[in-house]
Amino acid sequence: MTASPQTPLLETRGVWQRFGGLVANSDVSISVGRGEIVGLIGPNGAGKSTLFNLIAGVLPPTQGSIIFDGEDVTRLPAAERCQRGVGRTFQVVKSFETMTVIDNVIVGALIRNTKMRIARQKAYEVLEFCGLAARADKLAADLVPSEKRRLEVARALATEPKLLLLDEVLTGLTPVEAQTGVELVRKVRATGVTVLMVEHVMEIVMPLVDRAIVLNLGKVLVEGKPTEVVRNPEVISAYLGDRHAVGA
Amino acid sequence: MDTHFAQRRRRDLIVAGCLAVVAALVPLFVKDVYVQNIMVLTLMYAALSQSWNILSGYCGQISLGHALYFGLGAYTTALLFTKFGVLPWFGMLAGGAISAVIAMALGYPCFRLRGHYFVIATIVIAEIALVLIQNWDWAGAALGIDIPVRGDSWLKFQFTRSKLPYFYFALALACIAWFVTWWLEDSKWGYWWRAVKDNPDAAESLGVVVFNSKMGAAAVSAFLVAVGGSFYAQFVSYIDPESVMGFQFSLLMALPAVLGGIGTLWGPVLGAVILIPLTELTRSFIGGSGRGVDLIVYGALIVVISLALPRGLVSVFSWRKEAAR
Repeated sequence: MTASPQTPLLETRGVWQRFGGLVANSDVSISVGRGEIVGLIGPNGAGKSTLFNLIAGVLPPTQGSIIFDGEDVTRLPAAERCQRGVGRTFQVVKSFETMTVIDNVIVGALIRNTKMRIARQKAYEVLEFCGLAARADKLAADLVPSEKRRLEVARALATEPKLLLLDEVLTGLTPVEAQTGVELVRKVRATGVTVLMVEHVMEIVMPLVDRAIVLNLGKVLVEGKPTEVVRNPEVISAYLGDRHAVGA
Repeated sequence: MDTHFAQRRRRDLIVAGCLAVVAALVPLFVKDVYVQNIMVLTLMYAALSQSWNILSGYCGQISLGHALYFGLGAYTTALLFTKFGVLPWFGMLAGGAISAVIAMALGYPCFRLRGHYFVIATIVIAEIALVLIQNWDWAGAALGIDIPVRGDSWLKFQFTRSKLPYFYFALALACIAWFVTWWLEDSKWGYWWRAVKDNPDAAESLGVVVFNSKMGAAAVSAFLVAVGGSFYAQFVSYIDPESVMGFQFSLLMALPAVLGGIGTLWGPVLGAVILIPLTELTRSFIGGSGRGVDLIVYGALIVVISLALPRGLVSVFSWRKEAAR
């Protein structure tokens, strides 16, 4: 089943997504290698979230294909992709509000563990890993926003993903909270999980990622090392407008 | 914390066992047939509401058409018995199985609907089924079916001299529905259902097949409600479409769970124990003189409880627990 270690874990090949007349993604071809942390960045409306949803299987692309772990998953629904090892968080947090924190994570753990006792144990370990163990018996609704973000990550990790898709988990946090978030992402990668993250805040995400892919107007603008990407005149003009790019 | 959870589960089981034993002893002291009748109905609605709660409370798919499954159970048993001489025990299982299959067949299109649209679909489908039965001559049409009395026996599940056998059967049914809920609560299904209720998109992203989860909940829920319907047919020994498939049954199944605490283990029991005697008593004491007064009292109580305790009566108990912590 599993493809050789040389092949990328995730590949999108010429992916298009049209919503009526609006083209959200046009001919997007990216690849994410095993063990990488890749940042997907770009200004508002660049098509980052759409691409994310295509990879997670929320909807099939209008055109093109998505290859995960050597297999074509283009037409597979979200639950099936989770089964194959794609975990995700949501930009707008979607906790199970009436359930406790541990129960939220158990839902994720159940995909790999059919025995309740083991799923519960597993969920508790993931909560400890994410620094939420002390809140295990609280209702998800009672968590503060930064904890809810953490819970999103914990829930996805409980499904034991090969690829973790993080949708703006660091956005809107205080600098201290964002820093703990960054450390969590590093810890996750250290366990062998590949991370693809959408972020807005450049200064937080750039030191974290191995590689950055910049989307603009639905297309891949640039990709490369973070230090190169931030100096690229096209990127600066996409973010700040042409006037600033001239100076660079 | 793991043990804390296990302790709570065990405590629920022990409390339920004790309550069942106490309930089983009550008829030894209460000989009044009228009161016994109310007790039978209370237990039956506790079972029905518990079953309704599986689909609508845990899985969050609010159905106001469960009278359909109640009626299917009643009709299957009654028809099999009167037309083919099949014992009610088999009729009960047949009714449950037929209801479960129909619930899934109806769920196939309906579970694509969300929120209010789903609720409306359940009401409409139950009403259509009611009209169909009312016009089905072989099944007695609007006149219904008179279940012939063939003597008191457990085999034929008929008792003319005493209500006690019905009481114990209703008690067993309530215990089974409670136990099934208790058992499912800490199973893959229980977690999936609650996840589907809270956020289907997030559930799907965690590997939960939302559609199948709803189908499973519908099948279990419909099966148990149909068994309740079969029981009711034997209990009243005369059924007609309106008296087993009318919209009021859909409401009477939903209300105990809603008032007691929707999506909770104890909500339906608590709700039924308070609501059903109240319904029966208001009907007999003030229903006769001024028609509709009983409904006003009943409605007022529902309004008061929903305003004071929006999370249901069980929240009184959990509130105390939190304060004690």
